[in-house]
Amino acid sequence: MDKFWVVAKREYLERVRSRWFVVMTLFVPVLITATFLVPAWVAAKAASGTAAHNIVILDATGTGLGQRVADILMRDTAAAPARRAAAAEPGPQVREMTQAQLAAAEDSTTREVMKPNSVVGYLVLDDSTLSTRRIRYAGRNASSIVDMDKVRSAVRQAFTGVMLQREGVKPETISLISNLSLNMSQTRIDERGKGGSGQAAIFLGVGIGVLLLMSIVFHGQNVLRGVLEEKSTRVAEVVISSVKPEILLAGKVAGAGAVGLTQQVLWIAISAYLLTNFAPIVLRSAGAPIANGSSAAIGISFGGLTIGLFIAVILYFLFGFVFYASLLAAAGSMVNSEQDAQQAAMPVMYLLIGSWLFVNSVIVNPTGTTAKVLSWLPFSSPIIMPMRMGLSPVPWLSVAGSLAVCALGCVLAVWLAARIYRVGMLMYGKKPSLAEVAKWVRYA
Amino acid sequence: MQGNDLAIDVRGITKRYEEHVAVRDLSLQVPRGSVYGLLGPNGAGKTTTIRMLLDIIKPDAGSIAIFGRPSTESGLLNRVGYLPEERGLYRKMQVRRVLRFLAELKGVKPAEADKRIDEWLQRFGLTTKEKDWGNSKIDELSRGMQQKVQFIATLLHDPELVILDEPFSGLDPINAQALKDAVVELKRRGHTVIFSTHVMENAERMCDAVCIIARGEKVLDGLVTEVRTSSGRRNVALALAVDSGTLAARENGVGHVLSDPRLVKRFDDNNRYFEIELAPGADAQELLHKLIEAGARIERFELVLPSLHQIFIERVGATGVETGMSGHG
Repeated sequence: MDKFWVVAKREYLERVRSRWFVVMTLFVPVLITATFLVPAWVAAKAASGTAAHNIVILDATGTGLGQRVADILMRDTAAAPARRAAAAEPGPQVREMTQAQLAAAEDSTTREVMKPNSVVGYLVLDDSTLSTRRIRYAGRNASSIVDMDKVRSAVRQAFTGVMLQREGVKPETISLISNLSLNMSQTRIDERGKGGSGQAAIFLGVGIGVLLLMSIVFHGQNVLRGVLEEKSTRVAEVVISSVKPEILLAGKVAGAGAVGLTQQVLWIAISAYLLTNFAPIVLRSAGAPIANGSSAAIGISFGGLTIGLFIAVILYFLFGFVFYASLLAAAGSMVNSEQDAQQAAMPVMYLLIGSWLFVNSVIVNPTGTTAKVLSWLPFSSPIIMPMRMGLSPVPWLSVAGSLAVCALGCVLAVWLAARIYRVGMLMYGKKPSLAEVAKWVRYA
Repeated sequence: MQGNDLAIDVRGITKRYEEHVAVRDLSLQVPRGSVYGLLGPNGAGKTTTIRMLLDIIKPDAGSIAIFGRPSTESGLLNRVGYLPEERGLYRKMQVRRVLRFLAELKGVKPAEADKRIDEWLQRFGLTTKEKDWGNSKIDELSRGMQQKVQFIATLLHDPELVILDEPFSGLDPINAQALKDAVVELKRRGHTVIFSTHVMENAERMCDAVCIIARGEKVLDGLVTEVRTSSGRRNVALALAVDSGTLAARENGVGHVLSDPRLVKRFDDNNRYFEIELAPGADAQELLHKLIEAGARIERFELVLPSLHQIFIERVGATGVETGMSGHG
């Protein structure tokens, strides 16, 4: 057992020390953050801009309509309340005047807009606005559909307020109506009834599946390369003279698996850090309204990720990794070159990629027969089962059973791999045929 | 010899592969504290035998005891150091880390390993004032330095039994000398060294006892002096000085004398050096006389025991080498 730790420790430390590990560990979270933030930023930029509230409102209605419009625009685009208080963004400037002053004011404001870094445009509410419902806007952003929609809807809302006031509605009621905001939750219903929590569940399920598939392929291939290196540098013979091949194999798989876990924990931690700390900054720079800078603001919901699911993901990763990594190690021990290794790894990779081909039908129908069967097979369940769990609730008994089958699959895979490995590590020369490998397994 | 006096006691081991038998019913006893040579042509089964000693491969039949205990016993191999014929280390790893890893695999504690690594690196000139190669990666080292590191790895855990497979192959003269010195030192400290080789001169100079195997079977074994005297033959070692005169003399006279069946049974011509087996009843004095008469300028003329090389050639024979060659080592 001591030697197992020595092997695992070397495997772990050498991999974690490598430049590749450091680069990948930092790069992936940046990529994940960018994947979320760039579309969110673009959307936020389009939705708010900085323009719609940075305008001048020339109000000649004499009814306070301009101030109402300004308040509504401010509320829609305001970011953190603290910032509003600090008056970093002054918001629309309302200039009340008589109809006679309007023409001169329009001229001077036009010149103001022409200067860079000042107000972007002005809205004219003249004395006929209330009766004719005509408003005018002029500005640098006059062709922005989003901005114009904002202005139009703000004026419409302000109109409603003024009209309600005229009808004698209480100011509190008016304020309630104009501040009304809705929160809609989306739930999917299909032929089996309510299908989990819609979009977020699909996001979570597929995310888990992709992460597991990628990690297993990635770190599994690393084990294969490590075995191949030990064989081609001939260091294997020295090592095997000190430690049983089974222990060496187990130590290598454990070490590489620990690297995988470390990397994933770092990925999640760094991504979460980047998203929570940079999302508000990035989105604020896009002018998006963010209540408290949570990841919810950019449409990511971790709500479905319960502790139970998290533990299941970790367990399935470990089982899936042990299963595939030992088989890949066996494949690596059979051959002498990188090309041959890829060929020897093919059958193993087919199992993994083959499972992935069914992902679509699992997403469409997470409780269907395909999904159920695949979540019980030891080679596909490490990916399919956690995905299903993300998509819709799975009875805990099924999860426990599938984990047990996985564990059994791992024992078989390790046993098989150890027998191939034991013989393969000392075999040089031509690539063995399948029949020869079968003989190794029988005689080892 | 009793079990406790033996570093290795092998009884009737056999290893069969699909198409051939690599080792057949081989028994050998290696006394503690001896330097033991495992001799044989390429493909005779030396490496297979060594791998079975180290429990890397399992014999199909027979038993192996190391220090009187079955070789499969856990922890036993911590007392054995092994230098395989095909050498190599983790290329991308730092020298110190490789050595510490291999030492830890033999049960040495990291702190103790670090201490010993420093001593060995210094002793082999891998840490000097200008450069500490211990912090370099293996693939930054020259081939000669890599060989040194590998040799350190074999001895770092101070093994009581050291098994070296073809240790001299690929060594430059300086490293070969260092290796020879190390073997002598191990022996002086009471450790046991086994090495395989097909270079008889090394074995003859270094080994207390040898075992010659061919085609997977033992041809003979025993103490080197016994092996050499047991043939009961008298040999002459003859060395000729070279100058323009003797070149002609050799062509005519010397060749003629050595072909005389009354004096010489057979001889091994190495150009300047001859190993001559005297014919039964022949007088060495007469041979010397005839050689001088024939005009040979003699540098050395000595009555000697037959060399291992000659015994090897005689006992294994050309056929043994050829059939052995097709095997797997």
